[in-house]
Amino acid sequence: MFSLKPPRPTFRSYLLPPPQAEDAFDSEPKIKKLEPVLLPGEIVVNEVSFVRKCIATDTSQYDLWGKLICSNFKISFVTDDPMPLQKFRYRNLLLGEHDVPLTCIEQIVTVNDHKRKQKVLGPNQKLKFNPTELIIYCKDFRIVRFRFDESGPESAKKVCLAIAHYSQPTDLQLLFAFEYVGKKYHNSANTLNGIPTGGGGGAGGGSSQKTPLFETYSDWDREVKRTGASGWRVCSINEGYMISTCLPEYFVVPSSLADQDLKTFSHSFVGRRMPLWCWSHSNGSALVRTALIKDLLQQRKIDQRICNAITKSHPQRSDVYKSDLDKTLPSIQDIQAAFVKLKQLCVNEPFGETEERWLSSLEGTRWLEYVRAFLKHSAELVYTLESRRVSVVLQEEEGRDLSCVVASLVQVMLDPHFRTIPGFQSLVQKEWVMSGYQFLDRCNHLKRSEKESPLFLLFLDATWQLLEQHPAAFEFSETYLAVLGDSTRISLFGTFLFNSPHQRVKQSTEFAISKNIQLGDEKGLKFPSVWDWSLQFTAKDRTLFHNPLYVGRRTPCARSSAVKAFRRTKKNYSSTLRGMPASLRNGLLSDQESLPRRNSLILQVRPDPSPHAGGQDGGLEQFFREWLCKPADLHGVLLPHLSATHIKLWKLCYFRWVPEAQIDRGGFITAFHRLSLLADEVDVLSRTLRQHRAGPLEACYAELDQSRMYFRARGPHDTPETPEFLSSSFPFSPVGNLCRRSISGTPLSKFLSGAKIWLSTETLANED
Amino acid sequence: MRSSSMASAPTSKYNSRSLENESIKRTSRDGVNRDLSEAVPRLPGEIRITDKEVIYICPFNGPIKGRVYITNYRLYLRSLETKLSLSPVVNLTSCQDSALILDVPLGVISRIEKMGGATSRGENSYGLDITCKDMRNLRFALKQEGHSRRDMFEILTRHAFPLSHSLPIFAFVNEEKFNVDGWMVYNPVEEYRRQGLPNHHWRITFINKCYELCDTYPPLLVVPFRATDEDLKRVATFRSRNRIPVLSWIHPENKTVIVRCSQPLVGMSGKRNKDDEKYLDVIRETNRQISKLTIYDARPNVNAVANKATGGGYESDDAYHNTELFFLDIHNIHVMRESLKKVKDIVYPNVEESHWLSSLESTHWLEHIKLILTGAIQVADKVSSGRSSVLVHCSDGWDRTAQLTSLAMLMLDSFYRSIEGFEILVQKEWISFGHKFASRIGHGDKNHADADRSPIFLQFIDCVWQMSKQFPTAFEFNERFLMTILDHLYSCRFGTFLYNCESARERQKVTERTVSLWSLINSNKDTFKNPFYTKEINRVLYPVASMRHLELWVNYYIRWNPRIKQQQPNPVEQRYMELLALRDEYIKRLEELQLANSAKLSDPSTSPSSPSQMLPHVQTHF
Repeated sequence: MFSLKPPRPTFRSYLLPPPQAEDAFDSEPKIKKLEPVLLPGEIVVNEVSFVRKCIATDTSQYDLWGKLICSNFKISFVTDDPMPLQKFRYRNLLLGEHDVPLTCIEQIVTVNDHKRKQKVLGPNQKLKFNPTELIIYCKDFRIVRFRFDESGPESAKKVCLAIAHYSQPTDLQLLFAFEYVGKKYHNSANTLNGIPTGGGGGAGGGSSQKTPLFETYSDWDREVKRTGASGWRVCSINEGYMISTCLPEYFVVPSSLADQDLKTFSHSFVGRRMPLWCWSHSNGSALVRTALIKDLLQQRKIDQRICNAITKSHPQRSDVYKSDLDKTLPSIQDIQAAFVKLKQLCVNEPFGETEERWLSSLEGTRWLEYVRAFLKHSAELVYTLESRRVSVVLQEEEGRDLSCVVASLVQVMLDPHFRTIPGFQSLVQKEWVMSGYQFLDRCNHLKRSEKESPLFLLFLDATWQLLEQHPAAFEFSETYLAVLGDSTRISLFGTFLFNSPHQRVKQSTEFAISKNIQLGDEKGLKFPSVWDWSLQFTAKDRTLFHNPLYVGRRTPCARSSAVKAFRRTKKNYSSTLRGMPASLRNGLLSDQESLPRRNSLILQVRPDPSPHAGGQDGGLEQFFREWLCKPADLHGVLLPHLSATHIKLWKLCYFRWVPEAQIDRGGFITAFHRLSLLADEVDVLSRTLRQHRAGPLEACYAELDQSRMYFRARGPHDTPETPEFLSSSFPFSPVGNLCRRSISGTPLSKFLSGAKIWLSTETLANED
Repeated sequence: MRSSSMASAPTSKYNSRSLENESIKRTSRDGVNRDLSEAVPRLPGEIRITDKEVIYICPFNGPIKGRVYITNYRLYLRSLETKLSLSPVVNLTSCQDSALILDVPLGVISRIEKMGGATSRGENSYGLDITCKDMRNLRFALKQEGHSRRDMFEILTRHAFPLSHSLPIFAFVNEEKFNVDGWMVYNPVEEYRRQGLPNHHWRITFINKCYELCDTYPPLLVVPFRATDEDLKRVATFRSRNRIPVLSWIHPENKTVIVRCSQPLVGMSGKRNKDDEKYLDVIRETNRQISKLTIYDARPNVNAVANKATGGGYESDDAYHNTELFFLDIHNIHVMRESLKKVKDIVYPNVEESHWLSSLESTHWLEHIKLILTGAIQVADKVSSGRSSVLVHCSDGWDRTAQLTSLAMLMLDSFYRSIEGFEILVQKEWISFGHKFASRIGHGDKNHADADRSPIFLQFIDCVWQMSKQFPTAFEFNERFLMTILDHLYSCRFGTFLYNCESARERQKVTERTVSLWSLINSNKDTFKNPFYTKEINRVLYPVASMRHLELWVNYYIRWNPRIKQQQPNPVEQRYMELLALRDEYIKRLEELQLANSAKLSDPSTSPSSPSQMLPHVQTHF
């Protein structure tokens, strides 16, 4: 029924707007006939007209009429009807208002309410009834519902089957990114500059910094130098993936280990994943991750050699602390089970019914417990690295799951660089993408894998906890974290598509050959990077990534001498943030002391009177307590508060599509709005001052109208009302998402009320 | 500052000490004390009674030797060992006095118990255990020799429970002076005038001028224009404790009203009262809506029925034709008291970490908060949508009714979300309408087990806090404001929350003889301001009363635990203040530059392209 060879495109495709024109693109192109906007390489597979999209929860009066289209990239609902009730829309340039990328689909349920039948559609399945209704359960917790009362029954059925088929492809190369990139390469054969960069774009706003992808020797080398790691070197033995197909081509190892030793040792490790350097503290202790040694005979010997080498790389020759993550942390299966329960609780259960036992149900999912476990374990390792000055080796069976989370969290806590946008992105590249986190399997892009587990989301959640507790320490906002999580479900970015860098090269080379694409010197196709945010959002919308609370490293802000002394030890972390010109900083320094400052509070701190400290645990306890006694140095170590009262549910991420949970014109965003206005005002003033000082010549080069903030100040005494469109879901909107309530009272509710919802294929596929 | 040290945490930033401009002399660094009594803060009128060496059994740090000072207002403890611990941090701040300090107004004490007897052997097992109304317990170990414990017990008991010992409450002794008189904040006539009253349908009556109609109501009441004073008297006979339906708030546009009262005296026999029935109909007709009058009975249905046995009840359909009755399922004072006790069990001294959320759920505290908010939302929505006027009552109309009307008014009327407006709201709906603060809190009374005690007002403040969490820009006041109100709900330093009703306050001449809490607050207003406040007129605030958004107010309920205490001040607020300072600094600099430039401009040698050209731009922008 569906050939792998796509049919000829029947619709005009619109090329992505060139980046420089993106702001002009803000005004939506007029779509006259109901036609979908298609990306290069995107083709329409099937479509059906006169479809009703259900909007409101308890009435059909807002329903929209339009055409439902299945392409090889997304489900698109095209309509001329304006979206009712919605006050704000955060526009993704890749997706229309009603679109769902195929890789974001979790489950497809077709219903015929006359025959009282329903079926969860898998790939290559038959449907014995004509559906009157289609419900799409999305991985991002949305539920979208379409009705086919007025559409052609056969076409409706075909579209449903097409969606089922294309959202559950049999092969990685059938994911849309391949088609898209193939098209780009073909197009670029005629033009000069058409080849996609593949490199990480800037975050938008003020930062034009590129994100290092750690695909090259030099990226690793720079990172070694940035952290001041001595005793470590970049090694190239895996060039061409000669050693391991799940390691990056370049990685960092103890200088004392020769390439030949490494090659020999590698055979003993699971997946040949020998110890990889992650990061070095300025005190010399290093963070290393490794798979287990499977060769039991060699185990002791190799382990000894590796440990000795790591010790040798430490300036104080300090010991190595090994942390066995498989034994101390929940397994990936536990985490997946917790997430499924969380999803069930947040979106799928009837809102009212879950209210009464909400807290215990939330506890019962164990999600927060697991988030806390990762934070706690990471914080303990921070203590080991920071305070005990001991190198840490993360051990895990394959070394590519829990290690990713822990290695990243430790670095976020220890190194302020990773709390900036480019830094955080480089961290994801370094510890996830290049270290062989199996995005393909864990995100379950092919919907076949039993290996699904939301470790990356868990990491984003844990980062959010840190952001929530230390809101001024991060350059990015929670919107950024949520959008980053969403981006894993858009099958366009090479970043989140593969199980390893080698897989990208191998698969895309195969694909290129089959499509007659000349790769030249390139190692595989260059897929778009998620860090090129301009592909998804306009420059204006990207400013929502910025946290107005962030105190940049060089943000003018006086500090007490005590803290200055403390910060000096951190000097060798180069900041990638652009600060103010030195002249201005100097100009300000003298007066800064007169400003009221956070660090002046240090005078009020009283020491912890508890002397109970004994043994290593005591030291850990004391480390925590002492840290908590100090005012947080936003550019120093950041520890999480780990009490159960401090670990919270990330509401923006999990509640944003639930209409009942939306606080209209409320939520933290309203304070964020006020803060942004003020931060913007300060920015404008600072620029104006700079222009004054710089004189006429340099003033020409000053960024005249560039703001970091989404919300802009209009004038000095402008205290505008809270905008109508703000809500606790901002910038997302639950309008058009169906929660369970709406289904009650319809024939569907009768089907669903008995069944375990978030339908599993097993329970409901028994229709025919 | 984040969770401050163990030592400073128990003396909360929110206690009164930080608000007084008294210099506190530091202990010398070596821990040897000269006359320490100088170091004890003292209010005008506060008299030192005794001091004693004790061991404070700190639940977070273990036993600490200290000296306790007792005055007629407070118990003040300063540790004698300055446990300079080992960390380098301490060296950083060692210029500071690192003594542990406890500063507890005696009014906060609910119960004093002796622990251990003459035969007690264990270390620190002999002493006093003090239960406080603000979610903590204090334990002091004393020497077994002499009468040290007996003396301290007696002194504390006398001054913590002055009413039980024929002593004056401290508020009557307090000689503090403020440059603002908080008693002037609430003037009922002005407040009703602000609401546009009297008008064609509502009049102000002085029928209760000498509390002859209802001794727990204020002298001034707003009633329907068409109801005569004689009508009111007849209605009073049919309402529990004569608390007749009177106006609390009127919608400025649609003229629907919130009316409050107590339950009708229906009784087992189902008595009826034509005057009461007619009176409700008159209320219904005061606006042009043809709809029914909505009655919200705050109680659970069964409780309302059970109340018939004691002569109370609710408005039945057949007697009250044009009304619609809803029960709001809010439980009584006893349930609330027990719920708060359970909260204390899971947060003090240790937080129930392992099953925190289910433990919290089992206290039902947030569920009660949710029901109260849900009720208030319904009241507000009914009135705001203009569908009908609303009558609210519970049994006596001074607990749940006050919660509902005041919260609904807070949602409906942005005026009450300002500092002064909120003071007026509390003064009006709670104090003047006879919420029995004296009974519910038990000011100066030793009977800690009194069944009349209940955290009703605390619940209200908790609800306000929940709303301020959901709408961070909607309130002029900050968290500290709410905490200060709660601290002085117990402290007995001010007259604001003393006594059960206006008639009692008048008898005791409270406004003449005591200071108002609003004097303290209004003379330090900046401390209590929310930097994010955005004044909005006519915006109805509907919080989401869902367990998904309700949170335990950790900063209040768990504030004594230094390990849990959240960052203070709030880092978001703090950053905002820093940005404000930075902005002012930049503006100053710009002005200076402009001045300098304009001086240059008068100098003909300056090139025309000098930065001074920017000046007009700068001026227009700022």
